[in-house]
Amino acid sequence: MAKTEKFSVVGQRVQRVDGFDKVTGESKYIADIILPGMLLGKILRSPYPHARILRIDTSKAEHLRGVRAVVTAEDTLKRPWGAFFADQYILSVGKARYVGEEVAAVAAVDPDVAEEALALIDVEWEPLPAVFDAEEAMKAGAPLVHDDKKRNIAVTLDIERGNIQRAFAESDIIVEDTFQSAPQWHCSVETIGSVAEYASSGKYTIYMNSQTLFNARYRIAAALGVPETDIRIIQSAVGGGFGGKSCDDNNALVAAILARKAGKPVKVINSREEEFLAGCRPRVFMKIDVKLGFKKDGRIRAKHIRIIADNGAYSAKAPAITGVAAMRHDTCYKYSDVKTQAYLVYTNKIPTGAFRGFGNPSAEWAVEQAIDIGAHELGIDPMEIARINAAESGYVSPHGNRVTSCELKQCLDMTEKMMDWKKKRADKKPNTGLGLACTVHVSGKRHFGDYDGSSATIKINEDGKALILSGEGEIGQGVHTAMCQIAAEELGVRVEDVEISKADTDLTTFCLGAFASRLTYISGNAVKNAASNVKQQLFQQASEMLEANADDLISHGGRIFVKGAEGKFVTVADAARARLFRHNGAPIVGSGSFDADSVLPDKTRFGNESGAYNYGVQAAQVEVDRETGQVKVLQYVIASDCGTVIYPIGAEGQVEGGFAQGIGYALIEGLQFDEGRPVNPNFSDYRIPSMRDMPPLTHAFADSYEPTGPFGAKGLGELNMDPTAAVISNAIFDAVGVRIKTLPITPEKVLKALTEKG
Amino acid sequence: MKRKITLTVNGKEQELEIEPNRLLLHVLREEIGLTGTKEGCSIGVCGACSVIVDGRLVSSCLTLAAGCEGRDIETIEGLAKDGNLHPLQQAFIEYGGFQCGICTPGQIMAAKALLDENPKPTADEVKEWMSGNLCRCTGYYKILESVMAVVNNKISPDFQFRKREQQAKIQSLDVYKPVAKTD
Repeated sequence: MAKTEKFSVVGQRVQRVDGFDKVTGESKYIADIILPGMLLGKILRSPYPHARILRIDTSKAEHLRGVRAVVTAEDTLKRPWGAFFADQYILSVGKARYVGEEVAAVAAVDPDVAEEALALIDVEWEPLPAVFDAEEAMKAGAPLVHDDKKRNIAVTLDIERGNIQRAFAESDIIVEDTFQSAPQWHCSVETIGSVAEYASSGKYTIYMNSQTLFNARYRIAAALGVPETDIRIIQSAVGGGFGGKSCDDNNALVAAILARKAGKPVKVINSREEEFLAGCRPRVFMKIDVKLGFKKDGRIRAKHIRIIADNGAYSAKAPAITGVAAMRHDTCYKYSDVKTQAYLVYTNKIPTGAFRGFGNPSAEWAVEQAIDIGAHELGIDPMEIARINAAESGYVSPHGNRVTSCELKQCLDMTEKMMDWKKKRADKKPNTGLGLACTVHVSGKRHFGDYDGSSATIKINEDGKALILSGEGEIGQGVHTAMCQIAAEELGVRVEDVEISKADTDLTTFCLGAFASRLTYISGNAVKNAASNVKQQLFQQASEMLEANADDLISHGGRIFVKGAEGKFVTVADAARARLFRHNGAPIVGSGSFDADSVLPDKTRFGNESGAYNYGVQAAQVEVDRETGQVKVLQYVIASDCGTVIYPIGAEGQVEGGFAQGIGYALIEGLQFDEGRPVNPNFSDYRIPSMRDMPPLTHAFADSYEPTGPFGAKGLGELNMDPTAAVISNAIFDAVGVRIKTLPITPEKVLKALTEKG
Repeated sequence: MKRKITLTVNGKEQELEIEPNRLLLHVLREEIGLTGTKEGCSIGVCGACSVIVDGRLVSSCLTLAAGCEGRDIETIEGLAKDGNLHPLQQAFIEYGGFQCGICTPGQIMAAKALLDENPKPTADEVKEWMSGNLCRCTGYYKILESVMAVVNNKISPDFQFRKREQQAKIQSLDVYKPVAKTD
């Protein structure tokens, strides 16, 4: 496919396939699912950050009228489970390791009875010494969160590529600083929930608002000790994911064991407080030491990064996130000599985990500020220093990431123009400043079972409409619409004639789900291959009807005809029917697979982790109020390189929504812990941006084409969350000369820094 | 102690027997089966449960159902008439005013309450008014654009959702003879 190919469906501002149901309130989210005889489940949670359970007495709760089941660890295999390390239990075994950990649960006829029953469960606790800070936890003699994890260290990385000592010796200037990132909660407006049913034949059916259904099935099967086939997961509409709904928590497992014990369907929906305490796994927070060596001309000669990351009590996705923070950014600029050390450390707090950006926002918060410091010290425009170092197509990072398409330099040009950077820099006004940062992200990441693929099936109905069966997760990002466009483009039909099923592990083939900005690129390729297979079958049938060679046929707008002779045609509907309604008839149905050309990184974490890399640049103009410390974003611009834009409304939404979370992370969102317990677990104290918080934004997509992507597309979903905090901080420095090194950048911190500077 | 009340929801009278402490949100969802109204934060901050009561926007998670006796309640389910979307619903589709959609019923009800009162608000007035409805997906730009499209009459006059046929002709299988066609 040539870059100049004209598309008829790809790139069109089509309507979302799930649009009608969403604006009418008819979409069925997890809380809207009601099954006959359904009970309500509630969870008893640990009030202690670290405590031994001496005894649990559930007898009073069991005898309460309206209670149908009470479960503790005794109702489980006491088998640990987890995405990378099996270290958490469905319900506490022996001890609890953070405030909010699931200890017991009840299923009852209504929520009031369930709450009453929870209060009747008698737990005898022996509080244990706890540790809340990752650096403290690494010290000798600190309480151990898991007895077998010495110094509470879950993961250690120590990787050097090239010769770091020589590279620093050859540097003209060295910048060294420490930055602290903050936890951030997903705050999907819909919390995590499940509705589980158990048939006495042994089959569990679980409705989940998960973004990774087959991974959920695998983990649930492992924890329950049953084969995958005995678990069917059906996806409800999902009210926001952002990484938080990737089945790293116990909600569905608790629902499953309650349903099994009660013999009735059980619904368990997290309250907003539970979501903060023990639902979605918040962003891994990190302390990052960065040391960069620059040549006088602005080239980065050496990079050394040292990270201490807070894992919380259990591991979830943090082991992979720590690796991303340690290494991904080395795909953004042309590095030769790098050293990266990282420690992921257990503490007695909520397990941290996957959140849009997956380690990148923390790393970019630190590294992009260090580069800005270098630019100011060298007296080079930050735009120029980015240009000098920017990666290009063909770049191979020190860790083996192979870049097939990269329009980072074009994004810099676009940003410069959209921001009117040169003029604003020349006419700098007091207390206003400009900031910039670059970003890179993957389009899929190879880490689950040496596979980073997807599969899809397409069938043609008797009316000629195509139905895609896909187990990938629509979680609001709009990927179902993009998949319908890709199928329509390949089949040569109208996008309105393509529909897509909900994900269901019994009915759809294996799919990894929504993470690592992978769906448009990876599932898009699988859908395109499935459509290509279906098209061959249609053409075969049509060739008989047109008395022509199948190789000479093309399709457009639902009609199949000989190229150059559009007057005589067969409709897709007629071809599908002709293939079906006859002797030896068969429906037209085809499957397609795709696995990215990436490799599972080796023991030293070397290897091309993704099939394609997405790039972006963001810039801000801010004004700082010296009296209050308030930061006002006057103008924000974003340029994104996501290859071909398949579904523009959705792609723009990813940029705007990612940026909103970036602004929240930069300026607003934060949560205090008191002895391991979040003190403000609600929406009135944990603020997320509202409409009035959003600054003027201009953004655009680079002219870009990824040769391995479906019609040239690659990933986009996380890119614009990643650099925003660094952009704002860099702009504040340009405005008033103070640098904020801990998140979020509150007016108090800015004011304090201004006062200290004098 | 349950008591009998009558609520008028989307123009229809609903006779209910409910506990006096039940919230309007839960009565709409669980007793009347109108699950378009969503629970997001349970403390009246996020706006996902927004409904209109006697023309005023309220958080149904903070409103007692029994207190709404005799009042006129509007929910998202009441907006589309005979399968035709309300201009706001149409605008949200045309301008991409939602992603996951969980906050969307609340956003649309909030916008409706504003436009019912003030059909020509400025963008700043919309921003101020809509700031009580949280969205984690969109960054709000396309929500604002959707509302302003209605204010400025910029929605398509001939809107049809995905060109869906209203009266599809289903070909009879008995007489089916597939042949190539000509224009």
